[in-house]
Amino acid sequence: MARTTTKDAQDLFHSLRSAYASTPTNLKIIDLYVMFAVFTALIQVAYMAIVGSFPFNSFLSGVLSCIGTAVLAVCLRIQVNKENKEFKDLPPERAFADFVLCNLVLHLVIMNFLG
Amino acid sequence: MAKKLSIFIAISLVLSLCDAFNLDNPSSRRILVLLDDFAIKSSHSLFFNSLQSRGFDLDFKLADDPKNALQRYGQYLYDGLILFSPSVQRFGGSIDAAAILDFIDSGHDLILAADTSASDLIREIATECGVDYDEDQSSMVIDHTSYAVSETEGDHTLIAADDFIKSEVILGSKKIEAPVLFQGIGHSLNPANSLVLKVLSASPAAYSANPNSKLAQPPSLTGSSISLVSVLQARNNARVMISGSLSMFSNRFFRSSAQKAGSSTKHQKSGNEQFFTELSKWIFHERGHLKAVNVRHHKSGEVEEPGMYRINDDLEYSVEIFEWSGTSWEPYVANDVQVQFYMMSPYVLKTLSTDGKGLYSTAFKVPDVYGVFQFKVEYQRLGYTTLSLSKQIPVRPFRHNEYERFITAAFPYYGASFSM
Repeated sequence: MARTTTKDAQDLFHSLRSAYASTPTNLKIIDLYVMFAVFTALIQVAYMAIVGSFPFNSFLSGVLSCIGTAVLAVCLRIQVNKENKEFKDLPPERAFADFVLCNLVLHLVIMNFLG
Repeated sequence: MAKKLSIFIAISLVLSLCDAFNLDNPSSRRILVLLDDFAIKSSHSLFFNSLQSRGFDLDFKLADDPKNALQRYGQYLYDGLILFSPSVQRFGGSIDAAAILDFIDSGHDLILAADTSASDLIREIATECGVDYDEDQSSMVIDHTSYAVSETEGDHTLIAADDFIKSEVILGSKKIEAPVLFQGIGHSLNPANSLVLKVLSASPAAYSANPNSKLAQPPSLTGSSISLVSVLQARNNARVMISGSLSMFSNRFFRSSAQKAGSSTKHQKSGNEQFFTELSKWIFHERGHLKAVNVRHHKSGEVEEPGMYRINDDLEYSVEIFEWSGTSWEPYVANDVQVQFYMMSPYVLKTLSTDGKGLYSTAFKVPDVYGVFQFKVEYQRLGYTTLSLSKQIPVRPFRHNEYERFITAAFPYYGASFSM
């Protein structure tokens, strides 16, 4: 039984990798950006765990900027993906412009809360 | 017309009585002396003259005189009381044990002398002051090794004591060379009582017993725990002297020579006069009375007192302490006055440095804790009045714009948000 489970996991992983290879390049760039943002957020949480939460407002604004921009990037990916029937009529430039605008508003709030 | 005159007289009388309690002068001025009979006035005249020469008004009355009164219409008529009436059973007039204790509670001083014929009333007053006389009515202090040498071989009840308390404030700066003659009853102090002090204690070989009868059982009071003269400084700084012998104050003892048994030096004059002159100066607040004025604190560099400090501020604290010299306030000089910055426990404890003119000051940094603090000066030294000052001041944390502009610990967060 155990052998079957690991073989299944391996098969799953291989199938995911082959399916992912066929996604367009711009989507892969967005995915990379999301992973970078989440990774930065994790580094900040680890730093707070070591050093303590002294300027807590700075910690919150740093983590929020990373998570917020990751969420906005995920929305952009959804809207730009050509296989997504829901956003067929939305031009990708419009989606990107929305992404940039929302990021600006987010970072306005972040700058003020950073202290 | 007569009515207006009587009103005028009444008002001037009240005004003259108000003037009597002068806050600027802590020494007593008018003293009531209660005696058993007026022979004591002449037999103890040296002691009374020494008081009068220092400016006291002595008022001699018999203890059971029905016109005696310590206060009238709520105002005390006297600033001090001397009780040289050991055998009085009931005081006359409006004086009784409770009135005398109220007198002490209101800050006035008392000298009490008992004797072998001490009545229950005198013993009760002494017990309220923390001093317990020997319960046996006929006992006296007997000392077979420190008695005073005289021509006749007495029963060793006249003792020569030289075990003084070590305090220059209480007994003066000049050392008392000659022993002090004593003949009377002894008393003991409760060791748990921190306000009474033994000024003159008996030698370790003394005991308290009836000199005329054989000892049936071991005496209850023995050795150095017998106190011959004690003082009490109450929490309101009233001073009480309690002595076990009235004849210690008499002219006969003041003038006689003294030689302690076992020592070869014969002193021409006993130490009684010097001892009681110096001790009465202390009792009537001519020495050892401190006052602290002008408590000031401010931030370093500023002059006015703020209503609130911030953590990590530098502040300076100063206080002026004076000592009454009998005629004027002199600057008090000591190197052990300390101030605490206190909130449940002292966060800062600093010794104040003096400039020699009575100004004590120090500077320190407010600790990194916020809350409501007090500047506390608690000064209790042997023989001096207690100084207990406290001034409350709040301490606030940083306002949000008092932090540094870019906090070093937060640079990773700055970097992360800029990189997004």
